[in-house]
Amino acid sequence: MSLPTILFWILAVISILSAIGVVVAKNPVHSVLLLIVTFFTITGFYILLNAQFLAVVHIIVYAGAIMVLFLFVIMLMNLNASGEPQKNNLVKFAGVVAGGLLLIVLVAALKKADTGMLIQGSTNIGLIQNLGKVLFKDFVLPFEVSSILFLSAMIGAIVIGKKD
Amino acid sequence: MPSPSYPTLWPFLIYGILVLLLAGGMLFISHFLGERHQEKETDEVYEAGIEATGTARLLFPVHFYLIAMFFVIFDLEAVFIISWAIAIRDVGWGGYLAVVIFVAILVAVLIYEWRIGALNFGPQGKKILRAYRHKIKGVNHNEVVDKQNN
Amino acid sequence: MPIQNYIWLSIALFSIGVIGVLIRRNAIVIFMCIELMLNAVNLLLVAFSKYHHDASAQIFVFFIMVVAAAEVSVGLAIIVMVYRHTKSVDVNILNRLKN
Repeated sequence: MSLPTILFWILAVISILSAIGVVVAKNPVHSVLLLIVTFFTITGFYILLNAQFLAVVHIIVYAGAIMVLFLFVIMLMNLNASGEPQKNNLVKFAGVVAGGLLLIVLVAALKKADTGMLIQGSTNIGLIQNLGKVLFKDFVLPFEVSSILFLSAMIGAIVIGKKD
Repeated sequence: MPSPSYPTLWPFLIYGILVLLLAGGMLFISHFLGERHQEKETDEVYEAGIEATGTARLLFPVHFYLIAMFFVIFDLEAVFIISWAIAIRDVGWGGYLAVVIFVAILVAVLIYEWRIGALNFGPQGKKILRAYRHKIKGVNHNEVVDKQNN
Repeated sequence: MPIQNYIWLSIALFSIGVIGVLIRRNAIVIFMCIELMLNAVNLLLVAFSKYHHDASAQIFVFFIMVVAAAEVSVGLAIIVMVYRHTKSVDVNILNRLKN
């Protein structure tokens, strides 16, 4: 096994386990921390896939900003571990079965898919310059629309959150 | 054992392992070299003897949430602007125009936040100053009235 | 490394996110599971970006991040307001539209 393959399996095991931890952790703060671990492993996959800029942005945006926002909200509320009411076991079991069925259906649908090997070796499609070129040549309109989305999100959050 | 098809992966891996070794080594060494003792006040919050006045799990005011949210949004906007700034020579004036529109919308949001007072934080300085001036003026006015009466 | 490995991993992460949304009652944890699902999709997009040697998928990931940031900021603001009104983030309390 080559080095990337070994790294892939290590990261895959960590990411699946921490993702399960996010779902089963009783304390929401533990969920946040485990989700940050998952995001770090996903960053590792991005590096393995030669998406360097995306890896850095993923750390900055997800682990650095969005999860901090989650932690802030948890600290705004006085949530203790025992305070959360649990769904009853039947509903939980049904939820797990439904999610497992989704897993099985997706796996069955893609099992025979005609896929090949990933191109080995490093490419520079993930570098900032290349991404900037593609973004500002082919995706100018979605880029402007995203700024409108930012505007509406901020104004919406201010209107909802600022009311005292 | 860097595989030949991934020539750039192993320095990063060594760097990561070194970081882990450094952080782990610090914790490991301090576990042995650090002073350990068990006195009456050791487990107190402030070992110097100041009494703690409640838990650390205090509630933050909601205003912090707005600040964190602005941080998230402006962070992502910075990502887009950086990707433009690196590719500035390749995208030319079209890209410049796109970024100008983007930044203009950004500035509009910023002005809106500023005007609505979402960036004001803590005690409202202007309001306190106005109340203080009002009070001073009231006192002066009373003094003037007193003098006229005399 | 076949791309199938990344497909299975993304499917697993996505399904874990779906299960989390279905079995938890804490609105914040449900939001985190949605983030997990978005990230599974992001991972798959990046894998196919490498597979097809095309940078468009990575741009899509940026736009998904934009949508995630907007969704999180508005959604968490709503959760904060719900918490201020009901003193709880239990989604089962929100099944009434009045009172």
